[in-house]
Amino acid sequence: MNKWFKHIGLAIALLFSAVCLANGGDEQALQPQASDAQIWAQLKDGATGYTTSQSEFHAQPINTYDLRVLELRSDWLAPALMAALFGMIIIFVLFIKVNGISKLHHGFSGKLVYRWSKFDVSIHWLGAIPCLMLILTGLTLLAGRFFFQPWLGEGIWEAIVYGAKQIHDVMAIPFMIGWALMTVLWAKNQLPKMYDVKWFLVVGGYINFGPFKGKHPDAGFANAGEKMWFWAFALFGLIISASGMLLLFPNLFEPSRTLSLIALVLHSVSAIVICAFSIVHIFMATVMSEGGMECMVSGYCDENWATQHHNLWYDEIKANGTLKYKE
Amino acid sequence: MATMKFLCDTKRCIECNGCVTACKNENDSALEWGIQRRRVVTINDGQPGEASISVACMHCSDAPCMAVCPANCFYRTEDGIVLHNKDACIGCGYCLYACPFGAPQFPKKGAFGSRGKMDKCTFCAGGPEENHSEAERQKYGSNRIAEGKLPMCAELCATKALLAGDAEVVSSIFRERVAYRGAKNAAWN
Repeated sequence: MNKWFKHIGLAIALLFSAVCLANGGDEQALQPQASDAQIWAQLKDGATGYTTSQSEFHAQPINTYDLRVLELRSDWLAPALMAALFGMIIIFVLFIKVNGISKLHHGFSGKLVYRWSKFDVSIHWLGAIPCLMLILTGLTLLAGRFFFQPWLGEGIWEAIVYGAKQIHDVMAIPFMIGWALMTVLWAKNQLPKMYDVKWFLVVGGYINFGPFKGKHPDAGFANAGEKMWFWAFALFGLIISASGMLLLFPNLFEPSRTLSLIALVLHSVSAIVICAFSIVHIFMATVMSEGGMECMVSGYCDENWATQHHNLWYDEIKANGTLKYKE
Repeated sequence: MATMKFLCDTKRCIECNGCVTACKNENDSALEWGIQRRRVVTINDGQPGEASISVACMHCSDAPCMAVCPANCFYRTEDGIVLHNKDACIGCGYCLYACPFGAPQFPKKGAFGSRGKMDKCTFCAGGPEENHSEAERQKYGSNRIAEGKLPMCAELCATKALLAGDAEVVSSIFRERVAYRGAKNAAWN
């Protein structure tokens, strides 16, 4: 009888060891004691577990993401934003030195034509003033440590970067309201037309030498360059607002860390585009196009400016009787 | 100089959270409510392959937090410890996004999602303030490194799962253990 038990016991032992050997051959199957290589593989894949900590993301020991994001920011995006601001200013100053500005051929007529409502002017500045401050503070936050900090004392740098962050956060709100209103309310005047192609072919008629000299391409309410700026602003304004919301209100949207890093990159890319366009836009309005600034001060433009730069629009409002002079 | 590192031996960690408590207690002066610099995470909890690991700042030699900080508030000591200057911290949270280990934490401050000054493990090495000054104690907690001592979490680990010290020394201790255990591919790699 005792012999029988021995045999059965041996058979069971052999059976189980065979099962164990079969499992041992499978690398992925978890043993009661996982090998360090298995644990490491799971952790690197972002495994989460149980922890007593209540802090954000603490259930996950390791979050993996593409580390090239870091170099992208320091080596490409930061210098690019510097170039988009200071580089564009230098290019435009040189361009104006060489080319000269776009003068009104017949001078100022003194008759002002209604172009923008008071509301339009106010939403422009609602977006524009925060936009300028966001560019300067955003530049400090992205590129400041590489380009400004080496020249500044510790205390001054700390104050500047702290101020930049606070201003950047607060100015985001009016900027987004301004962006949304401008994009929605102005889109109908910004639809591309066939004559916009011709506008680009002669660079808008702003070149004062060579074969382009003295050209005046057709333009409606907005010319092709303004339309390009408008749509770039609409698109990248959307990206910069959406990514900015993720970064500004993490408690509301609870983005993952990787998504936040992606938002950070998209935010910088959009900022570079908007900054470069903004510099061009400001130069065109204030220096390049004589009489252009008046539009965003009073909402009226000089009649000669309207016929020179927006001939199709002027003809249209004259024909349909909506032309309104300033009293 | 030494290059200071933490290493947690998952074969020895028993999820007692002694390291968490030791850290909390040692650095209590600097820790705001809800912040814990070290945590123990257990993966596959209650299942085959269960393993616990104690995690805090790993004091990376190519620290992502350092690369991403807009205020450039991080610095590396001559012992290879990654520290930060809370006076320069602007609470943007980028280091939290960049850190693979979730080490940076932010006390809640003000309205919306705005963050306070970042806090993280200092390897019990204080901060940029004068060693053992009141300012250092209030902002960063203890400074055991200046006293020639290792971080409290590792010193108090009952099973010596959590090791802290020069990378060479720590890894040779671990290698020795692995060799003694005799299993193939049993080491961290």
